[in-house]
Amino acid sequence: MQARGVRTVSFYGLTWAMPMVLWQLVFFVFPLCFLLALTFWLVRNYRMVPGFDTVNWVKMYSRGYFWDAFGFTFTMALLSTAVTSILAFPCACALAFRTSPAVRRWAMFFLIIPFFTSYLVRAYSWQIFLGDTGVINGLLSAVGVGPWPMLNTRFGTLIGYLTLSLPLVVVLQLFSLASVDRNLVEAAWNLGCGRLKAVFVVIVPLAKVGLIIAATFCFILSFGDFVSPYYLGGSKPPTLSILIVDTTKSGQQWPRAAVVAVTMIATLFAVAFTAVALAYRRRA
Amino acid sequence: MPEPGHEPLVVFEGVTRRFGDTVAVERMDLAIGEGEFVAIMGSSGCGKTTTLRMLAGLERPSEGEIRIEGRRVNELSPAERDTPMVWQTLALFPFLDVRRNVEFGLRMRGIPAPARREKAMAWLDRMEIAELADRDVAQLSGGQRQRVALARALVTEPRILLLDEPMSALDANLVVRMQAVLARLQRDLGITFVYVTHSQSEAFAMADRVVIMSRGVVEQIGTPQQVYRSPANRFVAEFVGANNIISGIVTDYREGVVTAETALGMLRATVTGDVARTPGGGITFVVGADRIALSGQPAGAGNEVRLALISEEFIGSVVTLHFEASDGSPFRAQKQQRELDTLALEVGATMWASWPAEDVHVLPGE
Repeated sequence: MQARGVRTVSFYGLTWAMPMVLWQLVFFVFPLCFLLALTFWLVRNYRMVPGFDTVNWVKMYSRGYFWDAFGFTFTMALLSTAVTSILAFPCACALAFRTSPAVRRWAMFFLIIPFFTSYLVRAYSWQIFLGDTGVINGLLSAVGVGPWPMLNTRFGTLIGYLTLSLPLVVVLQLFSLASVDRNLVEAAWNLGCGRLKAVFVVIVPLAKVGLIIAATFCFILSFGDFVSPYYLGGSKPPTLSILIVDTTKSGQQWPRAAVVAVTMIATLFAVAFTAVALAYRRRA
Repeated sequence: MPEPGHEPLVVFEGVTRRFGDTVAVERMDLAIGEGEFVAIMGSSGCGKTTTLRMLAGLERPSEGEIRIEGRRVNELSPAERDTPMVWQTLALFPFLDVRRNVEFGLRMRGIPAPARREKAMAWLDRMEIAELADRDVAQLSGGQRQRVALARALVTEPRILLLDEPMSALDANLVVRMQAVLARLQRDLGITFVYVTHSQSEAFAMADRVVIMSRGVVEQIGTPQQVYRSPANRFVAEFVGANNIISGIVTDYREGVVTAETALGMLRATVTGDVARTPGGGITFVVGADRIALSGQPAGAGNEVRLALISEEFIGSVVTLHFEASDGSPFRAQKQQRELDTLALEVGATMWASWPAEDVHVLPGE
């Protein structure tokens, strides 16, 4: 809708764009503003009282357990991002470069199937495998080793994070790898670059944007997840999402829970912006 | 032409490449000498690109052997060969600037940064694009990219350079200029160029020898002159384009001159060497369109046919005249523009074409 550099507003386009804008305003921007306001409210006799007091921020930010939870959540999300991206990459590469289009379509289908089932159910079913008397330890004890505690450990949490994000990350990586120009890869081989080296020297830089976006999704999903750290990690130690639940339960402290929530959102914004900046950074 | 006695730089020996049921290249024998400019030519799907890719190690021969410098390379990966290629798409790395693109091959060989920078700059200088060293590839024009691709391929000082239709994206003006650049570069460097193209003018303008392929088979290998004047078979004669192909029955053969009865009348050709023909046998004459003399009246000379003008086609100073012969078959003549001034050229006009018997090429085996 541009003529001679003058931008004209199309009524037609605007009409169709409006529902999206309204939805975002009503269900995202307003609640977010409300959430932010909530952090300044007070709780008196288990009742929230509107106000403007920084006490919630001071209280939460001065508690050691808050920063412990923050550090733990951030570290676990980072670990999850690294493990997921590294596990997904060879798989996505194989699908992008080594398989026929038909196989790729089937693979894509199987990668999407997990989303048919609620993540809660999938995470819960891991308990059957990971418990001390579960399937895996049962097999291990049959050969005389174990049991290795896996449920209610960080390992359990990580398994949950992988369940949540691995299929998505493979799909996102696959999309970006599939658009890599094969000619450029061959050109690299032709100029003396070995096959494995070409992956890092040519394929990764070419697919960089997609790979970073996939990793960012993984971080966002893991950082905010409640199910895995609760059901598979046993809340030991609690993540920020568990902290939110605990805070609301103990003495109706919704404003302090809001402080945690706002901190999480701010963190994710910071991470997402950093990631995008990294993805689209011009070469040095 | 490879010297006899010692092994040429590149040898294809009975090389076949199949993709499933399709045969892309069939039993190819080809020897390419040191410092030779060889063009592999043919229409799309003829196997010329597959041939080049096998040389680069991007495809493996299904049968036969490829040797470079006397060494069998069938099993060598692309990275283990020194056969840089200039790609049809140029395949410059978009995430590297011009200088780093040129440095790539050196970097892969572990050359330290200062040395490779110096070499890359020297090559950019040689290609007259040194001032673009820090540019993004996306900011370059087609011709500039071409030069970057050449510099990138040549920076490792290979003995052989592969070029896969590198000019198909350039406009006609630039093609002519780049041809001059390439031809001079090849002479100066003295290395072997293997150039794949569907364009006859590119191949003929630059190559010492051309290899004409069709459907995976080599139809003829020879200098542009040989291929143009003495096509090995009907396919080559037609592919080269500017030829009239006339078949007939031999009526007489004596003193090196064969006479045949054709649809256009009795025609004669001087034949040399082993092309002895017996009366009653079939024969095919090839007459170059540029060897035709035209006139408005019959001159009574031998090898004269009557034609009707259909159209004229101007390409610069050269005009191609398209005729219809008395039997309805097409006939072509090529003339300099000024040679036509004395002729009345009107569509439908009757004209007479003649040519000397010495200028007729007899297709072997037809």
